[in-house]
Amino acid sequence: MSLLGDPVAWVSELTRPETWVLTGSLAFVGALFGALAVGALGPTYFLFLVGLAGMYALLSFGLNAQWGFTGLINFSVAAFFGVGAYGAALMTADASPIAGGFSPLVGLAVGLLVALVLALLIGIPTLRLRADYLAIASLGLAEVVRLVVLNERWLTNGSAGLRGIPSFFVGWPVLSSFPETMPGLQITVVPGSPVVLETPFWEAALNVVVIAAFTLGTYAVLRRVHRSPWGRVLRTIRSDEDLARALGKHTYAFKMQSFVLGSLIMALAGVFYTHLNLYVGPGDLDPITTFYVWVAVILGGSGSNRGALFGGIVVVTIREGTRFLNDLAIPVDPAPLRLLLIGVLILVVMRYRPQGILPPQRELIWPAARRSTEPATPTETGVRARGTSGSTADADGESDGDTATGVIDDEVEDATGGERNG
Amino acid sequence: MTVLGYVANGLVFSSIIVLGSIGLSLVYSIADFANFAHGDTMTVGAYAALVTFGAVGGLGGAVLGLPYGFFLALLVGIAAGAVVAVATERLIYEPLTTDSIGLLITSIGVAFVYRAVIQIGFGADFTRFEIGALRPIEWLIPYGIRVTRHDVAIVASAVVLVSGLHVLLQYTDLGRKMRAMADNPTLARVSGIRTRRIRYWTWVIGAGLAAAGGVFLGLFNQLSPRMGFNLLLVIFAAVILGGIGSVYGAMLGGFLIGMINQLTPLLSRLGEVLPLVPDGFGIPIGIEYANAIAFVIMVAVLLARPTGIAGEEAV
Repeated sequence: MSLLGDPVAWVSELTRPETWVLTGSLAFVGALFGALAVGALGPTYFLFLVGLAGMYALLSFGLNAQWGFTGLINFSVAAFFGVGAYGAALMTADASPIAGGFSPLVGLAVGLLVALVLALLIGIPTLRLRADYLAIASLGLAEVVRLVVLNERWLTNGSAGLRGIPSFFVGWPVLSSFPETMPGLQITVVPGSPVVLETPFWEAALNVVVIAAFTLGTYAVLRRVHRSPWGRVLRTIRSDEDLARALGKHTYAFKMQSFVLGSLIMALAGVFYTHLNLYVGPGDLDPITTFYVWVAVILGGSGSNRGALFGGIVVVTIREGTRFLNDLAIPVDPAPLRLLLIGVLILVVMRYRPQGILPPQRELIWPAARRSTEPATPTETGVRARGTSGSTADADGESDGDTATGVIDDEVEDATGGERNG
Repeated sequence: MTVLGYVANGLVFSSIIVLGSIGLSLVYSIADFANFAHGDTMTVGAYAALVTFGAVGGLGGAVLGLPYGFFLALLVGIAAGAVVAVATERLIYEPLTTDSIGLLITSIGVAFVYRAVIQIGFGADFTRFEIGALRPIEWLIPYGIRVTRHDVAIVASAVVLVSGLHVLLQYTDLGRKMRAMADNPTLARVSGIRTRRIRYWTWVIGAGLAAAGGVFLGLFNQLSPRMGFNLLLVIFAAVILGGIGSVYGAMLGGFLIGMINQLTPLLSRLGEVLPLVPDGFGIPIGIEYANAIAFVIMVAVLLARPTGIAGEEAV
C-alpha cells in the first residue's frame, strides 16, 4: 500500500496513534508555514530549525540503533555528538589550535574516526556490564570526555570553544559560492510584510540539504539493517540476551557493532552541528543533550525509526519553542521551563505509554511478506506457525499491553512467516 | 598545604559523600533501581534548609559556630527530602508497571522536575547560607590543617547520623525487616513483612540522609540548583566501589571516594609525600580531573569486581 498509489487505503490502514501523529504534524507544519507567510517566523531561522530538527532526528536514530535495536543503555550520547563536532571543528576552523584549514570532508572523516575510537574505548569495557551499570558507567565516561575537552586547552581551546568554522560546502565547485550568487528574492504573501530571501537564507538552505542527505541516508540504512538477519539478532538480544547466546550468537560482538553504528551516527550529527552553528564549545557536551535525545527516542517509541524522527522534532519544538515564551509576556526563565517540560514528558510517557507513541509495528515486516499475508487464505500445509500464542495483538496495530521497554518485536515477525491465518 | 591538611579536607568531603551514598545504596537494594534523582533530592534538602534558616534566623545561641536555627533548618531539610521522596514514590514510581530500567529512566524525569522547580523558584545562581565564614581553627594551622568549626560540625553530624542508622539497622525491628527485604523481597513478603511500608521507610531514611548531605554540601561549598546532580556520579562511584546494596560498603566507598577526590592535588607531587619514591615523581593530573578519577575508578570496579568491596557474591 503506497501513499502515492492508493492514498485512501494508506490512510485507512493507519493505527489510531499514527493518525493522531499525522494530523498533529500536518497542523504543525501548516502553522509553521502560516507563520512564515505572515512574517512572524523568519525564513532563515525556520531553515535553521529544520536543520536542528534533522540533527536531533539523526541523534535519535543513533540512540535508537543502540537502545531501540539492542537495548544498550547509552548515556554518553553527548560525548559522541561532542567528539564528532570537535573533530570536524578542529580540522576545519581557522582558529583551531592543532590543525585547521582542512576541507570539511576531512573534518567529517576525522570526526567519525575519533567517534569510532571513542566508541571502542567506551564499549570494550562497558558492554559486558549489566544494563543499569552500563547506564552509570557510560554517563561517567561521557563526563570524563567533557572534562578533557574543557581542560586540555592546547587541544580544544578550552572553555573559549572554537570559532571560524567554514560552511560545509567550502571549496566545492558550484555550491561553495551558491549563496552569494543566488539573487535576493522578495516574496509578498500578505501585503505589507514581504518575505526576503538573501544570502543567509541560501546558506541555511544548503545546510538543510546536507542534513536531509545525512538523515535520509541514515534512515535508509537503519531501515534496511533493522529488518536484516543482523537486526533480528539485535532484537533478540534486546528481548533476551541469554536466549541469543543459547542460539549460538556472539552477543558481545553484536552489541559492539550496534554500539559503534549508533555512535557513528551521533558523531555524524555532531559534524553537521559544527557547520550549522559555526561555533563549538564544551557546553555542547553537557549531559542534557544526552537526555534530550533519550526523551526523543522514548517518546517516539524505542526501536522505531520513524518514532525517533517524530521525537526529534518534538524535542526541538520544546527546546526552541520555550525561547518565545518571553515574547508572549510569560515571565518564566526558559531554561528551567525546558527542563521541567522534558522531565514531565518523561514521567508522562513512562506512566501512560511506556512503549512510546509510534512503537515499531509493520515497519519491521518485509513489504513482500506483508502482501502475501493480506489475502488471508487459509493455508493447508498443516505446518504450525512458529509461536502462534499471543501473536495477534501486535500485528493489527493497537498494542497497549506491551511492557515498558520490551516491545515484543518477535511477535510482529511471526506475521512475516505467512503461515499464520489472518 | 600539607598531607594532613588534605586528609582533613578529605574527611569533611567524605562525610557529605557518605551521607549521599548510603541513601542511594539503600534505595538501590530495596526499591531495586539506580535512582538518578538522588542527587537532586540532596538539592531539595539544601534549599528547604535555606528557606527555613532565612525564616527562623539564628535563634540565639550557637554550637561549633553554627546557630541553633541552622540545626532546626537541617531537620526541616531532612524532613523535606523525606516527604518529597515518599510523595514521589507514591505518585510516580508505585503506579508504574515497568522493570528496573524503566524506573531508572523515570527517575531521570523526576530529577529534572526537582531541579527545574528549584531553578524556577530560586534562580540558577549560587547562594549561601547567611552564616558568616569562620577563620580556620588556630591551633591546627601549624600542622597545615585549615578546617573551620563548621567543618568539624559537618563531620560530627555525619558521624551522629551514620551511627544512628547503624543502630536502627542492627537493633530495631524496622532495620531487621529492611535487611530481610534487601536480601529477598519475596521471602520477606511471605514472611508477613509489609514490604510496601518498608519501602516507604527506605525512602524516608535514604532521602533524609541525602538531604542532610545536601545541607552540609551547601555549608561546605555553595548552593545551586545543579549542586546535587553534579555530585550524583561521584556518589554512584562511591556506591559501586563499596558494593551496591551494602550500607556499610556505601559508607566505606563514600569515605574512599571523598578522600581520593580531595587528595588529587597530591598525585602530582607523590615524590615529596611518599617515602621510597624519588622526589619529583608524580602523576601529572590536575585537580580539575578529581571527579574524572572517581569515574574511572568506578568503571574499573565494575569490570574487576562488580560486587564492590563489601558486596556479596552474585546478587
